[in-house]
Amino acid sequence: GVLAHLEMLEARAHQEAVEQEEKEQREERLAFLKARVQELRLQRDELRDKLDRQEKAQLGKEGIVSDPALPSPRAVLEWKIRSLRGLLQVFQLTGFSGKLSRRGLRFSLRTSYEGSYLDSFHLELLLRPEFRIRRHSVPAFIPLEQLARKFLPSDLRSFLNVLSQHLNGFVGRRHQAEQLQEQFSEWLQGAPRGNSLCNLLTFRYSIPGKSQNSRNFPFRARLLYGDPCRSLPTEVAVSCSPDAPAPLAEAAAAHSELFRSLALPRAFRSL
Amino acid sequence: MDETVAEYIRRTVLKMPRDEIKTMLQKWGFLSEAQLQTLNFHQIKDNISQEVVQLCEENSADIKQAAVLDIIYNHIYQNKRMWSVYQMKKSAEELEYFDITDFKKKFKGRLRSALKNVTITFREYEDNAIWIRVAWGTPYKKPNQYKPSYVVYHSQTPYVFISASVLKSNLPLLCQALIVASNYHDIREMELRSHSLNSLKDIVFKRYSQNFQTDYSKPLQGENVEPENADLRIVQENRSEKERIHRLNREVFGDGPQPKLEFAQYRLETMFKSDPKMDVLDKKEPFRCLVKFSSPHLLESLKSLAPAGMADAPLSPLLTCIPQKARNYFKIREKKGFNPESFVSP
Repeated sequence: GVLAHLEMLEARAHQEAVEQEEKEQREERLAFLKARVQELRLQRDELRDKLDRQEKAQLGKEGIVSDPALPSPRAVLEWKIRSLRGLLQVFQLTGFSGKLSRRGLRFSLRTSYEGSYLDSFHLELLLRPEFRIRRHSVPAFIPLEQLARKFLPSDLRSFLNVLSQHLNGFVGRRHQAEQLQEQFSEWLQGAPRGNSLCNLLTFRYSIPGKSQNSRNFPFRARLLYGDPCRSLPTEVAVSCSPDAPAPLAEAAAAHSELFRSLALPRAFRSL
Repeated sequence: MDETVAEYIRRTVLKMPRDEIKTMLQKWGFLSEAQLQTLNFHQIKDNISQEVVQLCEENSADIKQAAVLDIIYNHIYQNKRMWSVYQMKKSAEELEYFDITDFKKKFKGRLRSALKNVTITFREYEDNAIWIRVAWGTPYKKPNQYKPSYVVYHSQTPYVFISASVLKSNLPLLCQALIVASNYHDIREMELRSHSLNSLKDIVFKRYSQNFQTDYSKPLQGENVEPENADLRIVQENRSEKERIHRLNREVFGDGPQPKLEFAQYRLETMFKSDPKMDVLDKKEPFRCLVKFSSPHLLESLKSLAPAGMADAPLSPLLTCIPQKARNYFKIREKKGFNPESFVSP
């Protein structure tokens, strides 16, 4: 009854008092922070003025004597960093991504072939005294040291460009060979023989259904990829076994053209 | 069939574990499926090997086929042998089209022109690895099939993995044949040795997980530095220190499994630094000392040192540079002047 009601009123009053106190505290804190912000702004303006005055004084002193073409080392470093950032932004579209770390520059190259992303490779470059490779995850059969000798330290952009082409070429060729084996295993005799860089591929094949004796694998192909940056061959030699019927022998020349112009799995699909 | 060939095949089969004999013979492909069906693989190995020899007799096996069987066994049990890594140098910089037939011809030609009594066998594997087995003889003796050398080479790379036989005198000849066959002009031994061939490949082909991330201040999603304690009464006093150690460890070792090495050896040629008052060594000579770390899995154990509290993080760069420098034998000389990077000799 009454006592319970009284208790409830007491509790409510207490609650409101607590809230009132908290509110006052918050307002106090807010006022304090606002004052601090003002203080810091004043300080910042003072320092800015000081800096301006100093710069003007410097210019005033050496304005006529110093050579305006000689930038300060700090400005050079700032310019280097800015141009690197610009480079990184441009290359992001071509599968590059880079990060500036305290030890140097780290690049990731993401290779792609026919619209799908494949392997990633990484590079870490030192910046001082000049561009040098510190670590990398590039396979040993890609001529990395050769490219570094040719382009670094002066031309980082070309180095990354050419390296990316080599890697994309390699990954593209390897992907084609793998796809060929996966999708057309009955057409091939065994597995295609290649090498680590995938720039030489030989295999024997037949076209099921079209040739009389498809057990025989009458066609022999040898593909040479002369340009390490491309995933299409530069030389193709397709021969037919001597005891094969004439129409097959003629087809061999047509196949040769096909392999030269189309990626292998696609070329096989159109056979 | 030659008696020595028969004996060699018998001994090779005896080396194999009993439940693997059938698969290895199938991989060999010299005996037909029908012949393999006639073998009883549940009897004692002595009898199995005798039966295998009889079947090989029927097919007239010669040393060439026996050598292939040996390669198959050693390819599967490659970790029983000690492998060293060699690096080749090339002067020409033009593009190479590695042709395996060309390579084999040049290799055999070079070896045979120097030594007539050799058995050379090749076998290629799917990962572009070429295995070469060489059994050595002398001008007057036939090749010793029980002490062959094995070479593993991946085309178009400058690295060769050699498990030399005890007869080390043939090593220069082997190296010569390799550089001629692969069109390089020089070869040198790297200071990198291990039983795990795949780990050696991981190190030189840079297949191990190096970390290339820059930001380790936040742990990966779903990952905790330590498991959540069910009991909230236990408080970790040095949680931030543990996190720091964990972060540094990840920066150095990366996230993935480490290559498997069994030891790291440091040969010290530094001066003994003692209290000058004690004057232990009055001759100013380097104190020769050899420090060797051994472990079933050295790099994983180094990785777990700091989190286990047994060493301070970060670990000494002498220990952590092993995969990156691709070596586990080091010579440490005196620091001359202020050059912190170069006191480890190449």
